[in-house]
Amino acid sequence: MSSDLVMDTCLLAGAIILKNGGETYRTEETMARIAQAAGMDDVNSSATPTSIILSFRCKGLDHTRMVRTPVRTTNLNKITLVNDVSRRFVGGSITLEQAYRTLCEIDQKKPLYPKWMQHMAAAIASGSFSMLAGGTWYDLLPAALAGLTVTLSLEYLEQFVRMKFFTEFSAALLGGLFALLAVTVFPELHISIIIIGAMLPMFPGIAITNSLRDLMAGDLVAGVSRGVEAMLTAVSVAVATAIILWFTR
Amino acid sequence: MLLKGLALSLASSMAWCILFNVPVRTIFAGGVAGMVGFLVYSLLPLLNAEVLLSTFVSAAIVSLLSQVMSIYLRVPSTNFSVAGIIPLVPGSMAYKSMLAFVNDDYVAGITLATKTLMVAGAIASGLIFGISVVTIVKGARHAGKRAQRN
Repeated sequence: MSSDLVMDTCLLAGAIILKNGGETYRTEETMARIAQAAGMDDVNSSATPTSIILSFRCKGLDHTRMVRTPVRTTNLNKITLVNDVSRRFVGGSITLEQAYRTLCEIDQKKPLYPKWMQHMAAAIASGSFSMLAGGTWYDLLPAALAGLTVTLSLEYLEQFVRMKFFTEFSAALLGGLFALLAVTVFPELHISIIIIGAMLPMFPGIAITNSLRDLMAGDLVAGVSRGVEAMLTAVSVAVATAIILWFTR
Repeated sequence: MLLKGLALSLASSMAWCILFNVPVRTIFAGGVAGMVGFLVYSLLPLLNAEVLLSTFVSAAIVSLLSQVMSIYLRVPSTNFSVAGIIPLVPGSMAYKSMLAFVNDDYVAGITLATKTLMVAGAIASGLIFGISVVTIVKGARHAGKRAQRN
């Protein structure tokens, strides 16, 4: 088995997991398992939320490579698929070439659900969360529309504002402005309920969950950095909300 | 009233599953995790549990449930737990604390912000509790197998 192909397969698997919102310990474990199953000795892998390092020994020669993953999104489907591939390779039911080809296909895959469906989902999440927070049926539609505003502006601002936190701040501001507009036109709506619902699509759920799991697995650096990322998102949303509230005073 | 909450938490968790691109066959399971979490969260106050305790218990149950479902459906458990904690998010508390700060009521603001942080910590520790219970069970089983082999 050529060590280059082993290295490529491991790094591709790790990069897909890390790029699509997987935990750091899952990245490290998947890479180490594939390399060990391919017969490499002395396997060591290390990942932080932005980079992966893998090193192993093959026939007396050491191999080490590092890749960076600057852009991160959330696509849990790809993580499930990579998990499946690595499990089958370690179990011995597919060869390394097959695994590499499948991983390439997974990497090229588009998101499972089309864009409009994700925006609709964000709207539904916002609307139903606003009701859970104590709203009336009349607040459901404005909250859903405000949530839609937030996700749409998140997507379009991302393309020309390169800073993640500023994108989130502006999206929260736009969603809040929509809520303000709705309340100005229909004064019987509750602005607090609408804002609470509208900010839900920005809740850093995956960052918090992954940060905790990384901390539990002993990856302190990865856990803390993900936690700080989640906190920055929360702060940018909070500041935007404060500005909107300052208008309503 | 409770039925309405259950339907809404199911809808919101399932929508959250779609937002995170989970596989199609696990969407409903994620919604069920959120619904069970909300059910526990809204039933515990009837037994005189305060908000921190009920948040902790329901987050722990969501976490345990998602680990169990991840074993049955053979997918990573993040697929379920991320959507499951959505109905527990202290959104209104965070909003009220922001409102108090804007209205120059710093004491109420800090009180509410601390409370929000405590609830967030309760969600976090509930998740950790679930994960560690499963890890301990797994570790015990591995140790048992190792003892049999030797």
